[in-house]
Amino acid sequence: MQPMIIILKEGTDSSQGKSQIISNISACQAVAEAIRTTLGPRGMDKLIVDNRGKATISNDGATILKLLEIIHPAARTLVDIAKSQDAEVGDGTTSVVLLTVEILKNTKTFIEDGMHPTIIIRAIRKATALATKKVKEIAVYVKSDDAKEHRALLEKCAQTTLSSKLIARQREFFSKMVVDAVLMLDELLPLNMIGIKKVTGGSLEESRIVDGVAFKKTFSYAGFEMQHKKFLKPKIALLNIELELKAERDNAEIRLDNVAEYQKIVDAEWSILYDKLEKLHTAGVNVVLSKLPIGDVATQYFADRDMFCAGRVQEDDLKRTQKACGGAIITTVENLNEQSQQVMGTCEIFEEIQIGSERYNFFTGCPKAKTATMILRGGAEQFIDEVERSLHDAIMIVRRAVKNDSIVAGGGAIEMALSRTLRDYSRTVPGKEQLIIAAYAKAFEVIPRQLCENAGFDATNILNKLRQKHAENHMWFGVDIMHEDVSDNFTAAVWEPAVVKINAITAASEAACLILSVDETIKVPKSSAEPSNAAKAMNMA
Amino acid sequence: MPSIGTLAFDEFGRPVLILKGQESKKRLFGIEAHKSHILAGKAVADTLKTSLGPRGMDKCMVSPDGDITITNDGATILSMMHVENEIGKLLVQLSKSQDDEIGDGTTGVVVLAGALLEHAEALLDKGIHPIRIADGYELAAKIALDHLDKIAESYPLDLTKLDPLINTAMTTLGSKIVSRCQRQMAEIAVNAILNVADMERRDVNFELIKVQGKVGGRLEDTLLVKGVVVDKTFSHPQMPKEVRNAKIAILTCPFEPPKPKTKHKLDITNVEDYKKLREYEKEKFTEMIKSIKDSGTNLVICQWGFDDEANHLLLSHELPAVRWVGGPEIELIAIATGGRIVPRFQELTAEKLGYAGYVRELNFGTTSDHMLCIEQCKKSNTCTIFVRGGNKMIVEEAKRALHDALCVVRNLVRDNRIVYGGGACEISCAIEVAKEANQIPTIEQYAIRAFADALESVPLALAENSGFSPIKTLSDVKSQQIAENNPRLGVDCLNTGTNDMKAQLVIETLIGKRQQISLATQLVRMILKIDDIRLPGESEE
Repeated sequence: MQPMIIILKEGTDSSQGKSQIISNISACQAVAEAIRTTLGPRGMDKLIVDNRGKATISNDGATILKLLEIIHPAARTLVDIAKSQDAEVGDGTTSVVLLTVEILKNTKTFIEDGMHPTIIIRAIRKATALATKKVKEIAVYVKSDDAKEHRALLEKCAQTTLSSKLIARQREFFSKMVVDAVLMLDELLPLNMIGIKKVTGGSLEESRIVDGVAFKKTFSYAGFEMQHKKFLKPKIALLNIELELKAERDNAEIRLDNVAEYQKIVDAEWSILYDKLEKLHTAGVNVVLSKLPIGDVATQYFADRDMFCAGRVQEDDLKRTQKACGGAIITTVENLNEQSQQVMGTCEIFEEIQIGSERYNFFTGCPKAKTATMILRGGAEQFIDEVERSLHDAIMIVRRAVKNDSIVAGGGAIEMALSRTLRDYSRTVPGKEQLIIAAYAKAFEVIPRQLCENAGFDATNILNKLRQKHAENHMWFGVDIMHEDVSDNFTAAVWEPAVVKINAITAASEAACLILSVDETIKVPKSSAEPSNAAKAMNMA
Repeated sequence: MPSIGTLAFDEFGRPVLILKGQESKKRLFGIEAHKSHILAGKAVADTLKTSLGPRGMDKCMVSPDGDITITNDGATILSMMHVENEIGKLLVQLSKSQDDEIGDGTTGVVVLAGALLEHAEALLDKGIHPIRIADGYELAAKIALDHLDKIAESYPLDLTKLDPLINTAMTTLGSKIVSRCQRQMAEIAVNAILNVADMERRDVNFELIKVQGKVGGRLEDTLLVKGVVVDKTFSHPQMPKEVRNAKIAILTCPFEPPKPKTKHKLDITNVEDYKKLREYEKEKFTEMIKSIKDSGTNLVICQWGFDDEANHLLLSHELPAVRWVGGPEIELIAIATGGRIVPRFQELTAEKLGYAGYVRELNFGTTSDHMLCIEQCKKSNTCTIFVRGGNKMIVEEAKRALHDALCVVRNLVRDNRIVYGGGACEISCAIEVAKEANQIPTIEQYAIRAFADALESVPLALAENSGFSPIKTLSDVKSQQIAENNPRLGVDCLNTGTNDMKAQLVIETLIGKRQQISLATQLVRMILKIDDIRLPGESEE
C-alpha cells in the first residue's frame, strides 16, 4: 500500500482551481450587496451595532465595510481597496467597490467557460490604461488663476460629494464651510490642521467655522471663574510643564532632624512653583496653555494677576494653536523674559464662549492662520458623527480639487462615456480580449444603474436613454435624480475631480485582477499558533 | 439575490463564511427596517405624550438601586428610561440636545418627531421613497420656520417691567409640579437671570446661578438669595451667628503648620527637640492668626479643615471661621465678594479680602441643620435659589422646573422674539404648510402635507391631556384661526373661557420652537435614511 504523505497540517482548509475563483467572486458579490444601496443622492444609510453595543449610522462605504468585520479572505480585498480609496481621495469608496465587483461578475462567465485568468487580467490591464487615458482626455480644466471661478469649482465638487449624505439639504451651507476651511490651509493642505469639534444640541445651520483654533474648556480648579475670559491681542504661552505644587521626585524622602529646616523645605517647594509662575507673569503672558495639568495654586495665582490658564489641553489642539498663533511649545520657563517674544504666540482675540451646554475657548484672527476649526452642531451624537464623516469626504475632495483643477461630470456621466469608448475600442480588437474589454466596458454601467435603482427609477429605461445620448456624442449626459430622467450633468454642475475617478478605476481594476489571479486559498486552522512549514512554502509559491 | 445575512454556498454546498460570527448576526433590511424604526420611535414618543401641557401627568421612575424620581421633564424621563433600542436612543439624545440648547420643550420635540415618523409610515405604505419623504419634510420645515418668523412678536425687554418675562416663565412652569406657586417661582427665575445677565453681550452665565435644595418647609418657602448659600456652619458653636460688614479671607491652605509635599520624616530623638516642635507649631498658629488679623479680616473661609486647637485659637481671637468649603463654592464666594483666593498665608493682604454686607447662619425648623448665607456682596451678581419642599422628590422636581424656567428667561434675554403657546403656533404653521403644499408639483407634496398633520399632534396631545375631545377641539381652533386670521388661538387647556393665547399669556420663545422643528426634522431624516440594520447576535463567549 502506498504510504500517505501529509503535507499540510491536519485541518488545514485548502480549496483550489477554477471553482475557487468563482467562489471568491461570489463572496465579493455578497459584500457589494451590503453597500449597494448607499450610492448616490437617494442612497440609504446603514445602522451597524457592534459587539459592545455602539451604534454607527453611516453612508460611507469604507466605514460600513470596516464595521462589517469581514473574514472571508477574498472579500477582505474589497475592504482594503475601499480603505485605500478613502485614504487617497477620501470619497468614492462605495463606487470603487461596486465597480470591482461588477468587473468580477462580468468576467465570471469567461472563467466558467474555461478562459485562463491571465488572459482576462491582461485585457483588464489594457482596458484600464485606456479608460484612465480617456478620463484625462475629456476632463475639463478650469482655470485656477481666477480666484472666484476656482472657488465656485471647489464648492460644486464639495456639493456633489455631500449630495449623497445626510446633510444633502444643507449642502450649500456646508460646501462653503468646507471650501473656506481648506483654503485657509497652507500649500501642503495638511488634513490635521482642520479641527472638527462636535457639540450636540442646536441645529445643523448653527455649525460654524472659526479661522483659528477652538477647543473645549478644560478641567479647571477653583479660581478659574475669576480669570478674565477675553483678551485682545494676548500673548500666549504654550507649555509642556506641570504647574502644580507637588513632590518633585516621587521616590525621594527627606529626613529632618531640626524643626527649623521644616519651614525651609516648605518654602523651597513653593518657590519652585512660584518661580515658574513669576517668570510667566513677568514675561507679560496673558494666556497660559499647558498640555499637563495646571493646579489650583497656579490657577489662583493667574487669576490674581488677570491671566487666563488652561491645563490638560489635548495635544493636537495645542499643536494647532501653535500653528495658528505662532510661538513654540516650551518645556521650560527658565529663559522666558520679555525679550523672548518668538516663543510666544498671539492672535487678535481670545475669548471663552458658550456653545450649547459646553464652553469653548476661541483663538481667532490668528496671524499665521493656517488652520481652521469647524464646530458642528446637531441633534444626536450619531448624527454629528455622520456629519463629520461626510465633511471629511468633502474636505478630501476639495483638497484634491485644489491641487488638480480638472473635473468630470458625475451622476454616471463619466462612466457612460468610458463605457462607450471602451465598447467602441473592443470591436477593433481581434481575439479573446475583445470579449473581456466589452465586459469591462459594461461593468462601468453599474454606477448609473445603481443610482437609478436606489432612486426607484426604471434602470433599464434610463440606461437606454443614456446609451443613446452618448452614442450621439453627448458625453456629459448622466442620471438626473431630481426629474427621473437624463440630463447634461456638466451644465447641471454635478462635478467631481477627475483624479477621484482615475484613482477609483485603477484601484478597482487592480483589485479585480488580484482576486482573479488567486486560484488557491490555504487556510490554516486557528488552533495552531504557527503555520506549518509546508503551508508557508505553499503560501510563498 | 445573494445577500449577506443569508449564507453563501460554494460549489460543494458548503457554506462560505464572509462575516465574523455571521450565523448569529441579525439583520433587518428595507421596508422592514423602516417599519421597526418607526415603531420604536412611536413607542418612545407615546410614553411622553401624556406629560405634555399644563394638564400633563408626571412619570414615576424607579432606578435599579431603588431611587425614585418623579418628573414631568421629557429629557429627564427619557434619560432615566434606559432605552435599549438604537432608534429610541436617538430620540433620547434628541431631547437631551434640546435640553442643552434651549432647556425647555424637551417633551414637545420628541412628540413632534414621533408624529413625523408615524405619518412617514403611511407614506412608505404608499410606496414613496423614504428620502423623498425626508426631502419633503425638510421643505415643509423651512416653510414652517419662515412662517414662525412671520408670526413671531418682538417682546419688550424692559428691566423695570418684569411682567412679560414672568409670564413666559409661568408658561414653562405651568406644566410642572410647582404650578401651585407658579408666580413666585417665575419671579424667582426672572430675578435670578436678570441679576447675572450681561445685557450688553446678551449672555447669561449659568455658573453664577446656583440652585440648592433642602428637604423641609414648604414649596412657598423657596427663596432667592442674592449671594451665596453654603451648606456649612461656623466651625465653633460659640462663634457669632451673624457677621455684618464681613471682610472675608478666602483660603485654600489648611489651617495648620505647612507641610512639604515631598515625602519626609522628622527624627525626634530627645525631649528638647519635641518641645521645639511644639513651640514651632504654636508659633506657626499664632503667625497665621496674626497675618489674618493684620489684614483686617473678620471672617475666614477655608477650603480645608483645621483641628480643634486652631479652632480654639480662632475663637479666642474672635475670628469666625468656616471650614471644609468645597472648591466650586469657594469660587462662587470669591466672585461674589470680589475677593481673591489666597493659597498661602504669606500672601494675605487687605486688598485680597472679599466683602459681604451680611453673613448669617440660617436655621431650619426643628432640625439642627444650618446653612451659611452670604448676602449683600460687593459684586452681587451671583445668586442662589434655595428650594424647599416637603420631600426629596418634590425638591428635585422643583429644581428641574426652575432650570427650565431659567433657560426660558435666558433665551428671551438672548432673543426677545416670542410665539404663542398652547399649540397656537403649531396650528398656525400647520395651516400655512398645508396651504403651501398644494403649490408643490412633485411627490414631496404628500410629505409636506404629512408634515402639516404631524404639527397638529402637539395641540392634539394638549387637548387630549386636558380631557377635551381632541379632534373637535383642534378643528374648532383651526377653523377659528383661518376665519379670524389670528395665529394666537390655541387650545384652552385650563378652561379659562378664551382660547386667545395672548389674553391667556401663554408665551413661548421663538428660538425654542424653531429649534424643536428643525431638530425633529433633521433627526427624522436620519432615521428615514436607514434601510439596513445589523445587530450582533448573542455572542458565544
